[in-house]
Amino acid sequence: MCNHRRGPRRPPPSLPQNRIAPAKPALVLVAALLLSLAAPVLADEAADIVRDADRARRPGESFVWKITITSHEGSKAPSVDGFEVFVKGTGRSFVKFIAPPRNVGRSLLTLDRDLWIYLPDAGKPVRIPLSQRLVGQVANGDIARTDYAGDYNATRLGDETIGGVACHVLDLKARTKDVTYAAIKYWVTKDGRRPVKAEFYAGTGTLLKTGVFENFKQVGDHLLVTRLTLADAIRKDRTSVLDYGEITVRPLPDKYFDKNYMKTLD
Amino acid sequence: MRLVAAAVALCLVVATAHAEDGEREGTDWSKQLRVRGRLAEEFAYRLHDPGDVSKLRTTGWLEGKYAFSEAVSLRVAARAWYDAVFDATDRYPANVERDQKTEFDLREVLLSVSHGDLDVRIGRQQIVWGEAISSFVTDVVNPRDFREFILPDFSEVRIPIWALDFTYRLAPGLSFEGVWTPDARISKLPKQGAEFQFAPPAFRFSNPVIRLPDNPDEFNVARSEGGFRLSALMSGWDLSLIYYDAADKIPVFFQRRLPQPVGPDVIALEPRHPRLHIVGATLTKSLEPVVFRSEVALTIGKRYETTNPLDRDGVVRRDTLDYLVGVDYTFFSKVDATLQLSQKILAGSATNLTRAGVEAQVTTSAALRVTTGFFDNTLNPTLLFVVNANRADYRVSPRVDWLLSGAVTLSVGADIFEGPRRTLYGQFDRNDRVYVTTTWRF
Repeated sequence: MCNHRRGPRRPPPSLPQNRIAPAKPALVLVAALLLSLAAPVLADEAADIVRDADRARRPGESFVWKITITSHEGSKAPSVDGFEVFVKGTGRSFVKFIAPPRNVGRSLLTLDRDLWIYLPDAGKPVRIPLSQRLVGQVANGDIARTDYAGDYNATRLGDETIGGVACHVLDLKARTKDVTYAAIKYWVTKDGRRPVKAEFYAGTGTLLKTGVFENFKQVGDHLLVTRLTLADAIRKDRTSVLDYGEITVRPLPDKYFDKNYMKTLD
Repeated sequence: MRLVAAAVALCLVVATAHAEDGEREGTDWSKQLRVRGRLAEEFAYRLHDPGDVSKLRTTGWLEGKYAFSEAVSLRVAARAWYDAVFDATDRYPANVERDQKTEFDLREVLLSVSHGDLDVRIGRQQIVWGEAISSFVTDVVNPRDFREFILPDFSEVRIPIWALDFTYRLAPGLSFEGVWTPDARISKLPKQGAEFQFAPPAFRFSNPVIRLPDNPDEFNVARSEGGFRLSALMSGWDLSLIYYDAADKIPVFFQRRLPQPVGPDVIALEPRHPRLHIVGATLTKSLEPVVFRSEVALTIGKRYETTNPLDRDGVVRRDTLDYLVGVDYTFFSKVDATLQLSQKILAGSATNLTRAGVEAQVTTSAALRVTTGFFDNTLNPTLLFVVNANRADYRVSPRVDWLLSGAVTLSVGADIFEGPRRTLYGQFDRNDRVYVTTTWRF
């Protein structure tokens, strides 16, 4: 018969490991009450941080930008795919495939968590899941959705320094099963609240890929991420680099985000 | 008169749309012109009796789109082919050679005009309804080219028609589409002796038989066709209701006895295209990571040939309900699978009916499509398996697409058919083939 001795649970490494004296019950009650009052405030702050970081990933309410995805695998020659992305609000995007020639004519439409692909060979929009791979390590949701604040509930895990920059570390949990990733661990700079790094997790807790946000550029009154590097968590030699190029902030008609209009936009 | 009225209305809409877009900055015409195309070399080898080359086709597609403004554009697309198999072998009769050796076809001549919530498309076009993949349940507007069965991409199988198609957005997520066409062309069937000739109806006549030609007018305002689709997207539920009034695109052979001065009556088989009223619906919903899709269509006025000797015209009416349910799922974030189950239900007995694909009052079929990608999706194997449950005739089509570069794709595959003769797939039991296709896109 085993007789396990239960020791005190080791606190997370990011928290100070001071020895804590047993607390009086009344004190515990007061602390719990304060914590319960503080929790929503902390959650609100985390949501604010994510919302601010989202702004670095979208130049306005309605805009068009060109994205080039360069996928690397080991020593092979990289493949390059080009997209023109039309975005309106937080839940609507239309993605035109503009390179290479074999993909030209295809397009993707995202309305909140619903996704259609237009394939010239089929001649009609076909509904597909958001998690389906687009190209390389990039899922459809990686370019079709830029709204972490809307898709995930955020909580603060603590602080870390990444490349000499002080960052908030946030835990993002999917609000529904309909999003690309079940959870994201997200690093956002304390100064300016810019996204720095993300780890994307499956529902099982398995790390799927990591993302690094780089090359910030001032566009109008927005400081924007113009490069995201996604690396496969298992096959380390597989990476995809998303370069955000020409950006045009302009009003887009609602019909651009109607699946029945996809062929017309080809 | 209706055509003139439609043309005038369209001109007014174009003028308004153009004016609306007048603020656009100076136009550089070359920036508004988009040209693309592809060139494909297809080689197919028939595996049985006799094993021989069955296709050596060079096909070119060229399409251009000119955007006069954001609201007005013109698209033109053409396809041409030359099939050297008719010069390289003498297996096919002259009528097949005439029909399939060379072809030039305008695949699209389409003027699109947008004005506010109204979009109008007029010209030669494909109007595609339906949500399922590789299915025609509610894809009812265009006739089809069956000269290579249903093996090519569906955009190649559909025959474009001259039509007026408009969409009006009634509210966010709710739109109405109307279609009208005087182009009453019918589906193209393979000629006798062609590689994918359909099994003829199993008539057993003791009398002499003549088969009358099937040459309906392609344009006929009196026989014009049309319908509508109402689409709604609510909380991720994508629903559409359709109605389409059209002639049957596949001829139905009515029998007529022609008394002769001497000898027995001659039986004339007269191809007709009875009017059909098609009422249907589609529904899709994504419940990540699964996508559900379904289609249903009731064809009122559908007629089938019968071998019942007591039937005077050899044709019976059987209103037909077709439906399909399907599910898409991605396994291991890597393997995309689609499973579709469908049934064709006749309003009445199927005894003595001779149409391939109608095996009983209820004909059930299932289709499974599995595809994945290797080496960063440059090598993409796909397997399509379709089986009719009633008589177990099936089709298996494995295929591998190798993306040699961003512009060149090499495809290697096979189409294997099995089943009793006179079933949908069994009729091509001896037509199993392997093929290689190289496609260059620009």
